[in-house]
Amino acid sequence: MERDIRVLLVDDEPLVRRSMEKSMLRAGFEVETASDAQSGLALFKQAIDTATPFDVAVLDLNMPDLEGRDNPDAGLLLLDALLKIDADLPIIVLTAFDEVTRAKEAVVHGARAYLVKGREAQLLELIQDILEE
Amino acid sequence: MLSNLVRPKILYIDDAPAARMLVRRLLARQYDLEEAEDGLKGIELARQVQPDLILVDLHLPQLNGYEVATRLKSLLPSTPVVALTADVSEHVRERVLASGCDGYLAKPIDPDTFVEQVQSYLGGARQVLQDDSFRREYQQKLVARLEEKVRELTQALEQNAELNAQNLLLLRNAERRAKLLEAGARVSRSITSILNLDELLNAIVDTLVGEFDLYYAGVFLLDERGEMAVLRAGSGEAGQKMLQKGHQLRVGSQSMIGMATASGRPQIAADVAQSPTHAPNPLLPQTRSEVALPLKIGERVIGALDVQSTRVADFSEDDLIALQIMADQLAIAINNAQLLIRLEAAHEELVRTKTYEAIATATGEAIHWVGNKAAPVPGSVARIREDVARYLIAAGLLVEQLPPELREHKYARLLAQAIYDLTAQGFNVHELRAELEAQSLNRLERTLSVESILEDLEIIRGSAQAILNIKEDLIGPARKRQITMVDIPDLLRETVASMGLHDDIVTLLAVGERLTVKADRVQLGRVFINLIKNAMEAMYKVQDKKLLLWVRRSEDDHFVVVDVTDNGEGIPPDQLEKIWMAFYTTKGDRGGTGLGLPACAQIVGELGGKITVESDWGLGTTFSVYLPAGE
Repeated sequence: MERDIRVLLVDDEPLVRRSMEKSMLRAGFEVETASDAQSGLALFKQAIDTATPFDVAVLDLNMPDLEGRDNPDAGLLLLDALLKIDADLPIIVLTAFDEVTRAKEAVVHGARAYLVKGREAQLLELIQDILEE
Repeated sequence: MLSNLVRPKILYIDDAPAARMLVRRLLARQYDLEEAEDGLKGIELARQVQPDLILVDLHLPQLNGYEVATRLKSLLPSTPVVALTADVSEHVRERVLASGCDGYLAKPIDPDTFVEQVQSYLGGARQVLQDDSFRREYQQKLVARLEEKVRELTQALEQNAELNAQNLLLLRNAERRAKLLEAGARVSRSITSILNLDELLNAIVDTLVGEFDLYYAGVFLLDERGEMAVLRAGSGEAGQKMLQKGHQLRVGSQSMIGMATASGRPQIAADVAQSPTHAPNPLLPQTRSEVALPLKIGERVIGALDVQSTRVADFSEDDLIALQIMADQLAIAINNAQLLIRLEAAHEELVRTKTYEAIATATGEAIHWVGNKAAPVPGSVARIREDVARYLIAAGLLVEQLPPELREHKYARLLAQAIYDLTAQGFNVHELRAELEAQSLNRLERTLSVESILEDLEIIRGSAQAILNIKEDLIGPARKRQITMVDIPDLLRETVASMGLHDDIVTLLAVGERLTVKADRVQLGRVFINLIKNAMEAMYKVQDKKLLLWVRRSEDDHFVVVDVTDNGEGIPPDQLEKIWMAFYTTKGDRGGTGLGLPACAQIVGELGGKITVESDWGLGTTFSVYLPAGE
């Protein structure tokens, strides 16, 4: 049986989280969400432990970081942490507005893609593309 | 004949003090001596004293001795009048006697003979004039003198009349000047008390016409570019008509106003018929003289004052001075009024800028925040569209299964139309059909449900509401304020009611009196809405929610204090400072706006108050709002 693609979604904005989750569920993905970097990292580790690892991670850049503080680069920190655990993990970073410098930074940190929020259809396409590679 | 007790009275009239002293020395021992230094006084004294003998020096100032003697003889016929004279010319005796004297004595006075002679006159000695021709000569002389005197008097009278006329003129001028000053003061008072430009100018022209008895008065102000002088106020009907027509004159044109504004110097037409720059105005046919005064701030011309009279040369030097003074004050007042307008515009701009500032200071975070709030909307809309289409197509598929008769049922036709419309609206009906057919009920139920649609609608609503709320919070502090006396317990009651909170949750405790504050009611209301909302959110998980609103005067009586206390989860100590930061939120799952507290702090701060917070982690939080007491 073809396993559903598992997506880890980390975003501290509840409505954004819920909307993205719904879109991904409809597209046939399995989704688990976390509202901050700390719990995101925990979920990721847990998934590995239960042999149901995530195939893709979608991370908001600006949220409470691993220490529970509001941090504009929390997403990047989580990204680093996740890649440390799984270097091949495709990670898509999300932010609320276009910033070329941040896009570059995310790539430098190892992100596979960078996306501005609000374009859920694009997100789905992006996930499909990444997985087809 | 002469008693020892009543001594004879002698009156001596002489303007030389030395002579009088000598005579006194000679006569005082035996006689009562009266003295007079001129003829008129002598005559008066003679009337009073009724002397027994009068000695009069012939060389007296003004009324001469001869005339005095004549007068004295007519007043006191029986009293001997003896003249004293140093005149030794021929016929002096005759002339003396001709004037009516009873004798004469030579001057300088001979002390040895003087007393004797006086005695003899007292005794009744008289000299008589034989020759009448001297009397006639004397009369003629008298008449001649009289004529002279009359002429002198007449001249004096004429001079007097002239002086009087001049005085009258001076007086009238002084009165006029006083009136001008008064009028000036009245105009100045209106100038300083009216700041509204149009009101000011209208008041000025009316006052000028009234105080100066003018035919017409008008005020021109230069336009933005300083090229045209535009009429801004004009007295009477003519003024109104010209204003309606938008009357204006080019600076530098051949008109009184044109020249006044171009040169910065007053233009005076004493007789408009002869003035090259006066153009007859059909609305003001009776003008005979006109003055145009430039209105200047320093050297800068800002307009002109135009005054017209029905009388030729009606503007005197004084009038011009007074009018110029008034024009100068008017210029300052106009400048002030215009400055005030610019100041108000600048203030408006500042308020707008503050709004932009309020937004700009939180820009990065704000954009992020707004982006976050708006982000779920497109996705939710897309899902709803799809779900609506899928439900309709599902229904449509069902209809296809119906027996032919039922396919004409009204609902069947309704659905058929809907599916037709979907196609028309660009939905890929075929693909959606295929998808539906390909999925099991289980699968379908997971993603297509009324619950899901409603949830998506709620996501959209929530996003929009959050954005609307943040707009208010951003603009709130910079909003134009309407300050009134606000009764705090009243405001809180209103706020609680508008939020629809349960009585068993909210308790309002107002202690004492004078719980009023000077503030913008709406802004202050917003502060409390924010605090109460935060409290309600903090109590989200609490079963037995309790919100306490406690109002009283501060201990030092300077403030009205409002405590908003909840029994929610409290704020961790390390976050207590951060809650005041713009866009810092304990966001979690309740989606606070994040801008509320900083905006509240700013509004309260601007009122001269402060907000403090105390919290027991796990037990509850109290926000205390201090507001300067209104009384």
